[in-house]
Amino acid sequence: MKLTKLLPWIVGVVALFAAVFAAMPQSKVNGFDVSAFAKLPILEGGRVKPLDSVARNTLLLIRSQQSFRFEGKTITADQWILDLMFRPEVADRQPIFVINDPDVLGLIGLKQTSDRYFSFATLAPHIDELEKQAKVAQPIEAKQRTRFQSAVVNLFERVYMYFRLKNTLQLAGTPGLAVQLQAVAAPQAAEMHSALTQLAMFRILPPLAGQKADAWESVGEALQAGAMGQPLHPGLEPMSRIAAAYGAQDAAAFNSSTTEFSNLVTSLRPEAMSHANNEITFNRAQPFYVGMIIYVLALLMIFVSWLWKPELLQPSAFALLVAGAVVHTAGLAFRVILQGRPPVTNLYSSAVFVGWGAVVLGIVLERLYKKGFGTAVATAAGFGSLIVAQHLAEGDTMEMMRAVLDSNFWLATHVVTITIGYSGTFLAGAIAIAYTLWKHIAPDPDPETGKALVGMAYGIICFSLLFSFVGTVLGGIWADQSWGRFWGWDPKENGALFIVLWNAIILHARWSGMARDRGIMTMAIFGNVITSLLLVRREHAGRGPALLRLHGLGLRRPVGLLRLARRADAPLHDAQALPLPEAQP
Amino acid sequence: MTNKYLLKAWDFISSFQLTIASLALLMILVLLCTLAQVPLGTYGAVNMYMRSFLVWWGPEGSTWIIPVFPGGSLVGFVLTLNLLASTFKRLKLTWAKAGLWLVHIGLILLVSAEFVSAALQVDDRMAIEQGQTVNYVENSRSMELAIVDVTDPAFDEVFAVPATVLAKSSSVNLPGSPITLNVKHFFPNAELTNRSPVDPPSIATMGIGPSVKIEERAISSNENEMNNTSVLFEPVVSGRSYGVWLASIALGAPQSFTHEGHTYTLSIRPTRHYLPYALTLKKFSHDKYAGTEIPKNFSSLVQISNPSKGESRDVLIYMNQPLRYEGRTFYQASFGKGDTLSILQVVENPGWLLPYISCVLVTIGLLVHFAIMLRRSLKKRQEKVS
Repeated sequence: MKLTKLLPWIVGVVALFAAVFAAMPQSKVNGFDVSAFAKLPILEGGRVKPLDSVARNTLLLIRSQQSFRFEGKTITADQWILDLMFRPEVADRQPIFVINDPDVLGLIGLKQTSDRYFSFATLAPHIDELEKQAKVAQPIEAKQRTRFQSAVVNLFERVYMYFRLKNTLQLAGTPGLAVQLQAVAAPQAAEMHSALTQLAMFRILPPLAGQKADAWESVGEALQAGAMGQPLHPGLEPMSRIAAAYGAQDAAAFNSSTTEFSNLVTSLRPEAMSHANNEITFNRAQPFYVGMIIYVLALLMIFVSWLWKPELLQPSAFALLVAGAVVHTAGLAFRVILQGRPPVTNLYSSAVFVGWGAVVLGIVLERLYKKGFGTAVATAAGFGSLIVAQHLAEGDTMEMMRAVLDSNFWLATHVVTITIGYSGTFLAGAIAIAYTLWKHIAPDPDPETGKALVGMAYGIICFSLLFSFVGTVLGGIWADQSWGRFWGWDPKENGALFIVLWNAIILHARWSGMARDRGIMTMAIFGNVITSLLLVRREHAGRGPALLRLHGLGLRRPVGLLRLARRADAPLHDAQALPLPEAQP
Repeated sequence: MTNKYLLKAWDFISSFQLTIASLALLMILVLLCTLAQVPLGTYGAVNMYMRSFLVWWGPEGSTWIIPVFPGGSLVGFVLTLNLLASTFKRLKLTWAKAGLWLVHIGLILLVSAEFVSAALQVDDRMAIEQGQTVNYVENSRSMELAIVDVTDPAFDEVFAVPATVLAKSSSVNLPGSPITLNVKHFFPNAELTNRSPVDPPSIATMGIGPSVKIEERAISSNENEMNNTSVLFEPVVSGRSYGVWLASIALGAPQSFTHEGHTYTLSIRPTRHYLPYALTLKKFSHDKYAGTEIPKNFSSLVQISNPSKGESRDVLIYMNQPLRYEGRTFYQASFGKGDTLSILQVVENPGWLLPYISCVLVTIGLLVHFAIMLRRSLKKRQEKVS
């Protein structure tokens, strides 16, 4: 009796502790204070972020993972970026390029084996051929490319990104930044400075006192300014020592130079330093990844509970669900504070938010009905949506918002409302699937439980209809505000309308008595099909029908009217359509 | 007997089955319309599926077409009737149903707003260069042949013939001018290329016309493709012919001829509507996020001058912040010429407020209804307890 009361608490608290533990800073690696270096703020993609974010996002794009094994050791993204920038000869041997396409493997003379990861050194002899093939494929519109062409362009872009990162702080294959600083004004240096400027992936030198807040400089730009006779940026000197120390594997010198550089940044831009500090904590905590693991554990526990000791395991699974929801919520809140934006800003965050909405609704249902179904459905929905989100993350998930989207008011109203509507539809579908499975598996399905499940689904569909309708209309109003028409039947609007119509059909079918329990549940499952289609990856959507092309909010939107404006204007050849979002989800 | 049929019809019109069937048809139309946007473009697909009473289909290459599916307008109309009928039939005028009444009125308003904008909305545009003052909007969907008397440097006298008139008539008198136009050939869409020596000679005798080869093309409804409206015509002034000219939207600078000291320019251009006021672009700004190509904002600082009202003031038009003036709404739509040209979308839609009202009604309605339901279920629960 005591255990049944105690176990849920223990399980929940342990899960939360594990989540907090994950956010702890990494200890020194072989004496190198990697964390201190990774914490340095830089400007990339229009915003200030820690170097750690660049390291993780780039490694994620290149290898699809945030760390990897090399020579028996785990290399984190931060260690990798240090090697790449300061010891490229080591980084070039690390297997970080994931290649799945057999034709691309053939191009570089490799056979498809279980090992899909290749080092830059392996690719290096084939770069020319790769570039040739990519140049052929690049002018073709992404949608029209063959699988091979897409893969070759993708690999080439990753190689180029790797190359840029390698040549951001100092040119690989040269004696290094310290030597360049000695001969800033030398005539042959100009070419190297301009190469550094052009290749720089990020800007690491903070604006000096009196300069504008976004006037960050890359190493190349600072060297160019120095060559013009301006005083050298005070960060160049310590940066050159960091580079030299890491290249020589001198931990003490590396740590002291990093501290020196970091103190300089703190004195020049304390707000950038503290922002970077917060963001690196968020990166380390990976709340959505940890949340996903907690959800899947809860789901497994609920499965076991149906066979063994339900009175003990069901409350424990519920406790895990709540712990997962706490982590998930904390992650969302942290993101909102970091970015200064409402929770949904792009496809990735909409998946995270849809999952969160479904989990919260599921917890409410479990409290109301206490049958374990709420827990099962909520954990499945939370786990599923976070997995989808992981796959939707392409580079920086907190990228800057394009002009028309730069409206916290509409992001907060329309986008959040409609995403909650999607959550509901998604959860109702999940309940319906659970209902169907239960009907077929349970040896003696009691009508009471069946009724409760139908009641849950019905209530949630009402809720989703309200939110998806209001969200869709708010989207129309936003469209009216920004480009002068309330409704244009574009794919995104149609997608939203689809969900509204389907929910309306389900409710009317029930009210008229045309559909009873089983009918409603079947229809709810189809609602899930629609939501999934809307959340399907753009990548697949490229070749598919436009309906599947759920808008990454950060992408260009082909608004008919805007294109029209451009096309009809024959004399104004250089007129460009404004980049607009691909509309509301 | 009639009564019985009327009752049956009333039952049918107000039935749930009709609601569900209409909603389902609408869903299918939305799907078809979305899929058709790839080949037809948004405008073409919407006209085919949504803004039509019937969806027509015919085999490729043949001229006959048959209706194969109800169009969006028809379904929307039936749905509205059904909504009205069922509202009056089923909804009692009681406070308990107040929420549902609001929801249904709001929905009817929303559907009618779409009808209003389909019928009355006019989309124009205004392109202004920095420092320039413009007192007209252009309609990019329709073209006109403009004959402009530019003799007086302070004042242009404009005679314009809509393309639709050129398409139908063989001879057009320009009222208020001594000019008559004999239309030789009108091309709704055409391809213009340089004439090579082996091509047959052109009908055109004057201007750039003789050196251009012109071939008729099918009209495209896709907004990414431009219809090169072109015309071969002969201006006759007071009985005297000035030769056959080619005018086309695809040609750049206007051509001109002179008659008795009056110089007339000829060009095909988007149809203009002149406004009783003018906009001057003082500055166009386009900022990007540092170190990226991601646009941060676009804005146009314009001055409105309306002499009839003695009004002259500055307005900043930017994203999500249009200018609403005298029944027209000006939106920042596009830009060009190295950020010195601003293109404003100008929309005239008398029904623009309807969706706003509808949204408020439906939201309040749903909230009221849910509140009433919640109160009822709480009451039941209380009764159970006691």
